[in-house]
Amino acid sequence: MDYDIRKLTDYLWELPKTGGMRVPARIYATEEMMAQILGDKAPQQAANVAHLPGIVTASLAMPDIHWGYGFPIGGVAAFDLEEGVISPGGVGYDINCGVRLMASRLTRGQVEPRLRELVNQLFRDVPTGVGAAGALTVPVDELRRVVERGAHWAVEHGYATETDLAHIEEHGCIAGVDPAEVSPRAWQRGREQLGTLGSGNHFLEVGYVAEIYDMEAARVLGLQLDEITVIIHCGSRGFGYQVCDDYLGVMDSAVKKYHITLPDRQLACAPIDSPEGRRYLGAMRCAVNYAFANRQVIAHHTRKAFEKALSISTAEIGLRTVYEVAHNIAKFETHVVDGREKRLCVHRKGATRAFAPGREEVPPEYRAIGQPVLIPGDMGRYSYVLTGTEKAMRDTFGSTCHGAGRAMSRVKARRAAAGRNILREMEEKGIIIRGQSRRTVDEEISEAYKDVSNVVDACALAGISRKVAQLRPIGCIKG
Amino acid sequence: MNAEHKTPEWLTFVDHTADAGIAVEAPDLARLFERAAYGMFSVITDLVAARATETSRISVEASDRVALLVRWLSELNYRHVTEHRIFSKFEVLALSEHHLEAEVSGEIFNPARHTIFTEIKAVTFHDLQLKRDDRGWKAQIIFDL
Repeated sequence: MDYDIRKLTDYLWELPKTGGMRVPARIYATEEMMAQILGDKAPQQAANVAHLPGIVTASLAMPDIHWGYGFPIGGVAAFDLEEGVISPGGVGYDINCGVRLMASRLTRGQVEPRLRELVNQLFRDVPTGVGAAGALTVPVDELRRVVERGAHWAVEHGYATETDLAHIEEHGCIAGVDPAEVSPRAWQRGREQLGTLGSGNHFLEVGYVAEIYDMEAARVLGLQLDEITVIIHCGSRGFGYQVCDDYLGVMDSAVKKYHITLPDRQLACAPIDSPEGRRYLGAMRCAVNYAFANRQVIAHHTRKAFEKALSISTAEIGLRTVYEVAHNIAKFETHVVDGREKRLCVHRKGATRAFAPGREEVPPEYRAIGQPVLIPGDMGRYSYVLTGTEKAMRDTFGSTCHGAGRAMSRVKARRAAAGRNILREMEEKGIIIRGQSRRTVDEEISEAYKDVSNVVDACALAGISRKVAQLRPIGCIKG
Repeated sequence: MNAEHKTPEWLTFVDHTADAGIAVEAPDLARLFERAAYGMFSVITDLVAARATETSRISVEASDRVALLVRWLSELNYRHVTEHRIFSKFEVLALSEHHLEAEVSGEIFNPARHTIFTEIKAVTFHDLQLKRDDRGWKAQIIFDL
């Protein structure tokens, strides 16, 4: 596509305000990444978001920007609470899709001799929930408590500790839920999926700390070289997908009712302070809490699987939550706009909150280094731990990237994997993979993804996050 | 796991960055809706292992024909997820602009026989095409995975 793009710095580009745009669109990327980004419709989507009523400062895109439904993935957009809108497309189908990082007391040397048993145990104990039922069947009445309490529900049921909660964004429970606004279909879809990973790019990975870039931050987070880690990437499962689907329809009607002019129907939205906006917010937050509970239950099964497979006590394994982030969410936050503090509704779709040192939302023990940010890569290469910065607070509403982004479609990835034994190739690299089907594994081959280190480096060079550590995988289960 | 169902000539898988889609063709609209359903389940599973041992009825309504196609597929996906059924045979009994009545056949998911490739989060309106030409009807549907 042909874009009127202007270079603001080596890592920041702007599509100036034209036509119906209320603010400019800004993309964080290096010059090399920009060439690829401009070949896609995603920059146009970032410009489309800039048309929405009440948008503040700019429609932003992180270096992992790519096409998404309505809003681009990698998009950040903040709205004035009075004049602004809320859009399900700005959050995504998988509401509160996110990442938890856990770290253990074990080293690679202790785990690798029993790695195959460990990965098999994880594959048995952490259900993907695909096709069959999950680990828990929760009656709808109980599910109501799950969405009211989030990860706190898991503590009450023996799936979590208080220290887990302290290291989850929003402490694992967002306020302002309204279960009455969740459809019967969403409850039904959520009933048998608590504690399940799902399919697509969701996974549970066992890895180790391979490199440390910021010694002090790593010390504060308790990360040491060679230490075994676990990454859990999943979200609100069918519950959240259905909430999104239901409200896309509601918003479609709201656009007409409130005479909102949109450049793309998929940006369907409603004023934040309207019955439709409030209903979506109430239902969306239920899905946010479902996802917090979901990841917590998975974390519990992960701990149990480690014990069983390694025959080592819980205390010796010491699998603790380093931090958990949400990367598909809309939240009310306070930011400084034109020198004044302002409450905003920040949509992050495939973008991660990255709050600076000192912010009260950051757990006290991490406050000196800033909020930890977890950026998963593909199953064969590496993932990163970052921290938020003051520059992110100033320029991106305290946000950064969320992952690598696909370089190949699923069909192309399957073609690239045809005639190869991906499981064996990975084993030769020391990585054991278990997937629901061969096709799942083929579609998720390393080369189907962009190199996440480019994305992370662009964020670090732009100053919107700091690199702390690199993690490398040794085992992975996929839905 | 490797023996994949031969894709019928009226079904093609559409390339889409992070998601997946299907394009189907049929001589008439009722057949198109049936084939779209078959196409969606070919994205979800390998239909070579699927048996049509149980039949049930589905009735959906929507504001227009395009929305009806999305509703029909969404309903099947919902039943697949909540009832753990694999559907492989579809017969449209009645079809109008706003209403569809169908008989769908399938069986309960059996992990020993069925391979699930992916879940479908939602049937989307993105790039949705439903049109008629001199050879019949065509549709394209993108699923969010």
